[in-house]
Amino acid sequence: MSERRAAAVGAVVVVALLLAAAVAGPTAVSARPANEIPVQSVAADEQPQRPTSETWDTVPSVSVPLTSAPSGVPNASDTSVESVRVQSAQTDERLYLRLSWADGTADRNASSPRAFLDAAAVQVPVNTSVRPPISMGSTRNLVNVWYWSADGETEELLAGGPGSTTEFDQAAVETTARYDDGRWTVVMSRPLDSDAANRTSFAVDNNVDVAFAVWNGSEMERSGRKSVSEWYYFPFGPGPQGPPYESILWAVAGLAIVGVALVTIEAVRKN
Amino acid sequence: MSTDDGPAAQADGDGVDLADGVDHQVAMVMDLNKCIGCQTCTVACKSLWTEGGGRDYMYWNNVETKPGKGYPRDWEDSGGGWKDAEHTERKPGDIPEQADYGDAWSFNHEEVMYNGGDQPLRPDSDPEWGPNWDEDQGAGEYPNSYYFYLPRICNHCTHPSCVEACPRKAIYKREEDGIVLIDQERCRGYRYCVEGCPYKKVYYNATQKTSEKCIFCYPRIEGEGPDGETFAPACAEDCPPQLRLVGFLDDEQGPIHKLVEEYEVALPLHPEYQTQPNVYYIPPFAPPQHSEDGETVDVDRIPRNYLEELFGERVHDALDTIEKERDKVNRGGDSELLDMLTDTNPARKYRLEVFDDE
Repeated sequence: MSERRAAAVGAVVVVALLLAAAVAGPTAVSARPANEIPVQSVAADEQPQRPTSETWDTVPSVSVPLTSAPSGVPNASDTSVESVRVQSAQTDERLYLRLSWADGTADRNASSPRAFLDAAAVQVPVNTSVRPPISMGSTRNLVNVWYWSADGETEELLAGGPGSTTEFDQAAVETTARYDDGRWTVVMSRPLDSDAANRTSFAVDNNVDVAFAVWNGSEMERSGRKSVSEWYYFPFGPGPQGPPYESILWAVAGLAIVGVALVTIEAVRKN
Repeated sequence: MSTDDGPAAQADGDGVDLADGVDHQVAMVMDLNKCIGCQTCTVACKSLWTEGGGRDYMYWNNVETKPGKGYPRDWEDSGGGWKDAEHTERKPGDIPEQADYGDAWSFNHEEVMYNGGDQPLRPDSDPEWGPNWDEDQGAGEYPNSYYFYLPRICNHCTHPSCVEACPRKAIYKREEDGIVLIDQERCRGYRYCVEGCPYKKVYYNATQKTSEKCIFCYPRIEGEGPDGETFAPACAEDCPPQLRLVGFLDDEQGPIHKLVEEYEVALPLHPEYQTQPNVYYIPPFAPPQHSEDGETVDVDRIPRNYLEELFGERVHDALDTIEKERDKVNRGGDSELLDMLTDTNPARKYRLEVFDDE
């Protein structure tokens, strides 16, 4: 009897360990779900609006791959920026986004007919509960676009499809940019909350989609000729964060391991 | 379609090809035989529309010497326009370099005029190109060298490739008269229109960060001036030899319709660009060539094949028609065509109020 009891206890311990592994596994293998842009709380007095603020050293960075946007403009598939590093932080009041990408030339002015500006943009849905078409939304599913260009201007735009951007009367987005050692680093920030018409609010209990675009002025990139990401998201929702299939797969794997262990133990006991 | 007896009758009154959604189409005919290259049109336009504010280098109206590289330099090789008459596929185009336009030069007026300096008046910079840089150079060899002047504005095309090129629909063809305009509120300075126009008549304003172009002086033709009167565009009204006719292509009683559609002597520049311009030119005549000892020989001074390059193969019929009509007048006959080309009455040369009652 005592042997059987010991075996039973052993089995329980093994099962518990396996369950623990199954639960902890996803966290250990991937630090966060795909396409999440984690938003870290920081203190306002650490000056997150500054691209060089040390507070950004503590904020996780996501390397976001970029591809040429589908567009009808000439040479639309000829773009040069292949990825952008994205970090996000928040204080009690504001949401911050820090974008950083490699560009060999800082194109800060468009003072001649063939000169174009370096630029970057962030796109978020107006209605954060529905994911809009990635190409600047649609007439029924509008997006906000924060457009920074290297002459120092930042525009806050409303769009309902390609070619439809319209500037807000007063931009709520503030930007600080720095070019150093072949990289642009741009911090955009905006109050989390907004009750203005057609302006995205981040004071929500659901995940908020976000997408990115970068233009290299010296390559004559402008308009639809740009490098763009797919949709990412800020994890403002209650979780589980990440695609549900990931948890399901881990649960199935865990159960399978437990099942095999139980069968094995039973077999050993019968011998 | 012209005959010795004058224009062929139009079977019905609606033979003019207007752009979709356009009620009427403004048009201009320029008689190149009258242009003296004085640039008064250029200055009239510049002082009215393109002084300062990032527009200094722009000439919405320019006059260039042909043969020549023009303004901007080599614009005829800069692409743009349509691949064919179907108007479904555009040709790729380039944005000219600033150097191809030339800069707005500043001069040493102060030293020469006020400080008693004895140096010649000259630009402060050392320019290598600018509008009208190759003035009067032309082509050919003495005694058979040749050139003529070509005034150019936006052609306010029936199939404008600049309009099609804009991803924001910021550039459009106005419904009431087909004038092509850029909505300065919509424009974001992408310059697809600049590269898309085969005539390079859209200009980027680096100060405003938008593109700008000839507006056919629409406030003047709308009578928006202080006295409420209608005026033709400044380039036309201020022209000393009065070489321009202004009106509507679909005004069948007007000289433009007759010259373009009936006599077919007024031709678009570079019809192969397929944009169907609404500025038309009476091609230039020049005295025949001379032999080495100064005798007149029966050879065209301006080669026909060069005129064909500019105005297409219809230039041959156009020149033949004008020549026939001139012979007729020389024999003491009447010619409606030459009457129109020599008319000095502004009321008949500028017909801008014919559709006002609609």
